[in-house]
Formats: sequence, structure tokens, C-alpha cells
Amino acid sequence: MAKSEVAGRKKKFGLFDAINYLVFIIVALIVVLPIWKVVVDSFNAVGVYKFLLWPTEPTLGGYKTIIETQGLYRPFLNSIITTVVGTLVGLAIATLGGYVLAQEDLPGRNILAYMLLFTMIFAGGMIPEYLVMKKLHLVNSMWILVVTHGINVYNLVLMKNFFEGIPASLYEAAKIDGCSPMGIFFKIVLPLSKAALASIGLMFAVTIWNDYSTVKIYITNPDQTNFQYKLRNMVMDGDTPVTSYAVSQNTLFNAGIMAAILPFMIAYPFLQKYFVTGVNIGAVKE
Amino acid sequence: MSKKKTIVTASGEMVRKKPLSLRIWNNRGYYLMFIPVLLFILVVKYWPMLGVRWSFYNYKPIGTPKFVGFDNFEKMFRTGDFWTAFKNTLVLSVMKLLLTTFASVIVSVFINEMGNLFAKKSLQTIIYLPHFLSWAVVASIFTMLLSTSVTGTVNGILKDWGLITEGINFLSDKKLWRPVFYVINIWKETGWGTIIFLATLAGINPELYEAADIDGATRLQKIRFVTMPALSNTIITVLILNLAKVMNMFESVFVLYSPVVYDKADVISTYIYRQTFGSAMPNYGYSTAVGLFKALVGGALVLICNYLSKKTRGRGIV
Repeated sequence: MAKSEVAGRKKKFGLFDAINYLVFIIVALIVVLPIWKVVVDSFNAVGVYKFLLWPTEPTLGGYKTIIETQGLYRPFLNSIITTVVGTLVGLAIATLGGYVLAQEDLPGRNILAYMLLFTMIFAGGMIPEYLVMKKLHLVNSMWILVVTHGINVYNLVLMKNFFEGIPASLYEAAKIDGCSPMGIFFKIVLPLSKAALASIGLMFAVTIWNDYSTVKIYITNPDQTNFQYKLRNMVMDGDTPVTSYAVSQNTLFNAGIMAAILPFMIAYPFLQKYFVTGVNIGAVKE
Repeated sequence: MSKKKTIVTASGEMVRKKPLSLRIWNNRGYYLMFIPVLLFILVVKYWPMLGVRWSFYNYKPIGTPKFVGFDNFEKMFRTGDFWTAFKNTLVLSVMKLLLTTFASVIVSVFINEMGNLFAKKSLQTIIYLPHFLSWAVVASIFTMLLSTSVTGTVNGILKDWGLITEGINFLSDKKLWRPVFYVINIWKETGWGTIIFLATLAGINPELYEAADIDGATRLQKIRFVTMPALSNTIITVLILNLAKVMNMFESVFVLYSPVVYDKADVISTYIYRQTFGSAMPNYGYSTAVGLFKALVGGALVLICNYLSKKTRGRGIV
């Protein structure tokens, strides 16, 4: 591919290239402008409809309000806790399950695999799930996020596919040395899977952090909600836990959006390859 | 039949297979490791499946559930709102799928044609970004952009240009809700959708382009006769994979709809949600029945798409 590019692009800069650059700029602007407006407005004490390059009246008031209002920082902390715990649980289940299902001559492996795959075809549905969780006293508890996201069959299968790519000779050698399945898992499999763990861990983290509907369905106690829920209620339903604004409502809303995307924005530039390889483990594997 | 008792080792010799009980015992470590997975699967996935039986009951938060046969299903098929939700689910999902796939293909072709590697990588980094934003965040951003207040960007600009005098309430307008919904989906998912197309384009044999060059083909002709045919299989794959998820549409609508636009926006899942949590005395049986309908149609779609996927590309999706 690289070669053809060199050969193909040697020609002079033509009309087509000009159009191409123009399209590039337009597409990039369409994606960036709404996000940039949020960034600028979150630091701007006055709300305006225009796209600004920079805040006209810089302030940190929006962020200060979030940090100082219990109704806002509490959901934020809940989001962090559930995301961290949920990602660890999700990774544990996905790797354990993937590892066991990757054992080709394990008796009963197919039964276990079909049991998992069936859940991708049929599900009890929102209400039966709700009634089960109610029995387990998980309604109105933020741990519902950990329980429902802890098992992700799709990610488990991705892990299994990845583990199957590890040379069988490594397993055999360890088995001959008397290593137990658990020992092989921790000493050989996991250390070889850092990239897969990173990308699937990120998939779990993003899913749990971003979850809104689970919270909306299961949680009514404000102390147990997460930040996405709080944000959506604040911006769209006008349910603001602040009575007197130190800053304009617009500033607070935008600062709220920033808080909801900040952890991701910080990680994204450094971890972009892991964010993207997640799909490729699944899509490119033939 | 004697084959059953023997296995062929890597070196090709036949050895007697150990008895099953011994093999299970030898693998006990693996079974132990599977216990947490099994627990999660049973509690989170299989236990709720048993709850499907409530669709044959009249089940209120107070009192004992009463068996009513197919009453809930009869009520469901007689209810106009249910059919509206079913139709909306199909229309919104399929339109969204077609529009975002189309946009992804176009953008992929442009990215593929870009010679400047830095521009290429930068644009990819930028356009993947919205995929990772939550629906709550995306809804918040667009609600504010489309708002009729003084800070609503779109209305502000339209007024500046003299196109309108009164602000338009985009998200609570029956005619505009769907187009706005599609635009937001395109904004969010087009970039992410390009990944799979770009992977296909990277795999095109360079000799095809070279041969086209020798034949004197223009850039547009090369796109038309080399790039697009190479993408057609991937487009079909993407459509099949996503067709299986048509019934799942939920959160994107959930965060963006409002009572005014139920006609155009309500989908099965949001309908189930409102039937249950939007009423003081819900009949869990009825919502479960609607959920069962959704699960059966969804499951059938997965199986159909799995079959199509095996036919077209030799491997299934589940």
C-alpha cells in the first residue's frame, strides 16, 4: 500500500487534491466545532450563541460550582468508582471466560460456549432483568452498573480469540513444567496479553462511564446516580441542584459536559491505538 | 466407532483417549476458573430469561400475579402506540444505518485518496472522537446548540442570516425530530464507521491502481472502478452486522425524545420503559410481553444475519 501511494501521488497537486484538502477541513470542523464550543463556553462567564475561538470573560466558576455542589460531585465520584470497579470485574470475567473457552480439548467446552452465545441471541428483556435485580436489592444502588456490565459476552469472545492466538507450545511447555491452569493464566497468558487487556479494558471503561439508561431505569436515589444521568437531567430537564448561580447557567452546563468527557479526553491522545485496536481484534480476525 | 476412543497426536500416532471422568478431573482447574463467569451468566442473563413467564401474567407491584394467558399479547397487538413504536424502531434504525454507512464510505474514500500522511492520521484521530462521547453528552451538546434561547447557536446563526425570525424548536418538532436525529447520529458514528472501510482499502492490491494508471484512468475513474468495487463486500458485511442490532435501538432515542415527538420517535425499548416506569401502577406482565416480542424479533434477526454472514463471507456473527 505504501508503495502505491508513493507512486500514485508523485503527480503535481491538482484540482482533486485541492478538493480533498477542502473536504478534510470541512469534516474536521464539523466534528471539532461543537466540542470546541463546549470547551470555550465552559470557561466563559457569559453565554453567547457564536462560536468563539477563546473565552471573552474567562472564569473557572463553572468548574468551581461542580466541585462545590454535592448534588454534582457525588454523581461524579460514583461514576469514577463504578467505572474503575466495573472495568476490573469486567476484565476478570472476560479473561477468565476467554481463557477457559480457549482450551480446545476441555470436556464440555462447547456446552459452555453455546451457553454464552445463546445470550447474544435471546435476552430476558428490560423488565425481567429489573425484577431480578430488585430481588437482589440492586435497585437504587450504583453497583447495578458493575453487575450488569461485569459480564460482556462480546468482549469475552474477543479475549478468547486473542488467547487462541498465543502459541500452543507456550502452554505445553508450562504444563510439562507442572504449572497449574491458574499458574499458566497469571504467569504466561496475562503478561502476553497487555495490549488486548488495555483495549478491552478501555471498552469496558468507556461503556460504564458513558452509561445513562441503566441508571435511569434502576436508580431514583440522587446519591446513587452517575454523572451522565445528572448531566442529562440538568441540561435537558433543567434539574439543576444549584439554586443561585455564581456563573451563568450556560457556563455551568458546559462545564458539566466537560467534566463528563474530561477523563476520556485526557486518555484519548495517549491511548488512541488501544481504543482503535479493540475493534480490530474482532473485525480483522479471520 | 473405535475412533472415538483414540485421538491422533501432533506427531501422527494414535493413542488411547483417557476416560471422560479422568479428563474432567485433570481439567478441574479450568472449571474452577469458570465459576465466576458462570455465576454472572446465570444471574444476569439466564435468571431474567425465566422471568419471561410473567408475560402471561397480570403482575402489578402490589398483589399476587394472576395468570391471564395471552391477554397481554392481545392487548399489545391492539394498541396503536405499540405499532407506532415498532414501526419507528425499524425506520429509525434502518435509516440511521444506511445514512451513517453511506457517510462513512464517502469519508473513507476521501481519506484513502489523501497523500499527506500527517493530514490523514490527524483527521482519523479527530473523527473517531465523537464515538466515545456518551449519548447523554451528545444529547446535551446538541440540545444546547439547537436551543431557542439566546445561547442556541443554530437558531442564532439562522437569525443572523435572516432566514428565520422566530427560533425553531428542533428537538420538539414532529417534522424535524427525525432529520435532526439522523444528523446527530451521522456526526457521532461516521468517523468510527470508517475504520473497517479503511482497513479494506489498505488491503487493495496496489497493482490494480498501477494497471489503471497504465490504462490512463483519471483519479475519479480509479475511485469508481477500483476503490468502490473493493468496498462493496465490506459494505454488505457492515449492513448485515448492524441489521442484527436493529431492535436494540434505545439510548440514542431515550436521551433525545420528548412527549411531543412520541409519534415519530418512540421505539420499542422506550415504550417498554414508559409503560413500566412512567406509570404509578404498571403491569409488569404487559411490559414483559412487549419485551418478549422485541427479544424474539431481535433473535430472529440475529439468526438471519448470522446465516447471511456465513453465506457472504464464510463466518458467522455469533
